[in-house]
Amino acid sequence: MMKPTPSRTGGRAVRGMLAGLALASATALGGLTAQAQDVTTIRVLNWEPGGADYWKALVAEFEKQNPTIKVELETVPFDRYPEVQGPYITTKSGPDVMENNAGLELFDRRRAYAELPPEVLEAGKDLITYSGGCLNFDTTQPCYGLPFGYQGNVMYYNKKVLTEAGLDAANPPKTWDEMKIACDKVKAIGKTCVAIGLSGIFPAYWNFPEIARNYLTEDDMRAMLAGKMPWTDPKMVNILKGLASITEAGWTNSSAPSITMLPDGADIFQSGNAAFAGTIISDAVNWAAFGKILGDENLGAMRWPTIVADAPLADSFSGIESSVFGVTEWSDKKDAAFQFVKFMAGKENAELLSKVAGGISLNKNVDPSALPKSEALGQILEIIKKPTLHAGVLLSGQEADALARGWQEVALGRLTVEDWTARMQKALEQSPSKRQ
Amino acid sequence: MAELANLATGDGAARTAARAKRPLVRRDMLVAALFVLPGLALAILFKLVPLVRTIWLSLQETRGFEDPSFAGLANYRTMLDDPAVHDSFRNALIAFATLPVWIVLPLVLAFLLFQKTPGWKFFRAAFFLPYMIAPIVVGIMFRQILAPDGPLNALLRTIGLAPLAIEWLNGPTSALLSLTAVALWSFFGLGVLTYLSGLSTVSEEVVEAAKLDGAGFWRLLFHIIMPLLKPVIGYWAVLCTSGILIWMFPLIYALTKGGPGTATVLPEFLVFTTTFQFLDRGLGAAIGMALFLFVALVSAFVVRRMYVEGAKPK
Repeated sequence: MMKPTPSRTGGRAVRGMLAGLALASATALGGLTAQAQDVTTIRVLNWEPGGADYWKALVAEFEKQNPTIKVELETVPFDRYPEVQGPYITTKSGPDVMENNAGLELFDRRRAYAELPPEVLEAGKDLITYSGGCLNFDTTQPCYGLPFGYQGNVMYYNKKVLTEAGLDAANPPKTWDEMKIACDKVKAIGKTCVAIGLSGIFPAYWNFPEIARNYLTEDDMRAMLAGKMPWTDPKMVNILKGLASITEAGWTNSSAPSITMLPDGADIFQSGNAAFAGTIISDAVNWAAFGKILGDENLGAMRWPTIVADAPLADSFSGIESSVFGVTEWSDKKDAAFQFVKFMAGKENAELLSKVAGGISLNKNVDPSALPKSEALGQILEIIKKPTLHAGVLLSGQEADALARGWQEVALGRLTVEDWTARMQKALEQSPSKRQ
Repeated sequence: MAELANLATGDGAARTAARAKRPLVRRDMLVAALFVLPGLALAILFKLVPLVRTIWLSLQETRGFEDPSFAGLANYRTMLDDPAVHDSFRNALIAFATLPVWIVLPLVLAFLLFQKTPGWKFFRAAFFLPYMIAPIVVGIMFRQILAPDGPLNALLRTIGLAPLAIEWLNGPTSALLSLTAVALWSFFGLGVLTYLSGLSTVSEEVVEAAKLDGAGFWRLLFHIIMPLLKPVIGYWAVLCTSGILIWMFPLIYALTKGGPGTATVLPEFLVFTTTFQFLDRGLGAAIGMALFLFVALVSAFVVRRMYVEGAKPK
């Protein structure tokens, strides 16, 4: 019997080692593959409503509850969101879950969203409302997204500035005439009365609805949504006149025509250089954010002063489900994505929203004691008790743009309200979603 | 007969040689084609196909993100009736009218550096620095600087020039000129660098001789340097033309969003808002085509005036 030569022994050993290595690699790779197959990563396009801390907590909680799903966030600033989302929708590719404002903005983009299946819609039943995620605000029609927070407009005021101006901070102005008196006094101390930025979509979402409530009924607003309310209608013209009066009266900062409300306008208010700022109840620039900077004790929240005291909606709150989250039509991870949408509307997320972001949740099962203590928040909770439709989310992209640009020019004295009206009408006629 | 035979043999040899050469020519052509084809394929794929698709899309009516339907020239008619489109092209022409400043300013600075003006090493780096900052950051920066109560106006008031402390971004003309000035600030460093590379080819003897003949700074610049640098100036002019007409988007976006009103809306910004904000892709494509033609015409004019003529030997 021939003894194996050392070299042969070595060759066999090497071959053995290689085989072992290959086997180990295959096992390891197999394990990795199995693990990779087990974990589904979904990409969520969002503007981080509620802030970074809230979203960090939200993702952690979701991944804890759903260990097989990993969330990858693609966060875009709110005022740049349409420009980022548009190309995704046009090319039918990109994130698995997307955020949109409830109402027309979502309806316009409904082709990009998968219709919510009944098991996901079940989660909507725990919400005060979810109609803004359904076609024409009708829950019997297809729904494309579920909301999680309540959103809408209020006017914040800086008590310190009001006191400095010789005003009663406990009784902020309730009517347009009172506002005029207040603004004259604020201007007299060298401060801005109403911090505002007329660039971007903020005039449409944050200012327009508050003037519109003085002239429109809910039926008028539904007609607006359907494109059946011309801008030449006296009610609509009055809204434009109301907006114009804010800047024409000199209540605002001189930079208003060339800045955006977020961050520039909000900065003016936060810096203590303005008495009032019309923003929103949840998400960014809300009572929590302002309170943190100005001090909770210096911050108050009120309904916008009324122009027409006996208007049916004069004392209402322009409320809307905040943003809604839906699953993209092109996603190949729909189950996991729907799971995320369901979580967003759920109780656990609602509690995080209140605790971490100071937001106001739509979920009915949230313990009220979970809400932080703040005077401004207390005032907001009173204001939102009488909600109405939010006229801002009923404007098309063209209308929102024409509203902002027109107002900028009116503020600078380069455009009349009549010409602004004509531009708004043209914008309505050019709105793909409102063409009859 | 023998001659004939020789001739025949000679012909045969020539034919053989030609036959031998033919594959070589074919190989050359093949190699040439191999070099050209990738570029051609890329040009077709990324230039021609999108262009044809845009033309096709401009003939479609689009309702939001619903499937489009054929609309003929309707989008072009809408475009021609749209005052925002008129404003945007008028703004583009006004911005383009600043081209001489874009050409001359970096040239003057480059010539100062070339002459080794005191501190030239520092300024060479300092001039190029703005070009290194992303335009979107430049826009955000200048939004603060040009604010009515911003640092620029504060400085003007401090040094007794209060009448000059205007609302830079609020006026219809001042906003557009401010935008263009910010773009120039962001871009001119590249121009200085471009001219410096051109100046490095200028013989020092020529400059010295002109100086000995009594030529001052401006005479040197306009009568000696500019004629010598004409091809470089032409190249820079074409680059600036495209910079003004189609590369301003990030600045508009961060600085003014096209406002106030439509004062700083340029066609490229309008294409973007029409397509992605108004969801009217057909109209956006039509405006895009108009912009394409506009830029092509203006660029052709600039190339003709500045580059081709500049490159002609004297």
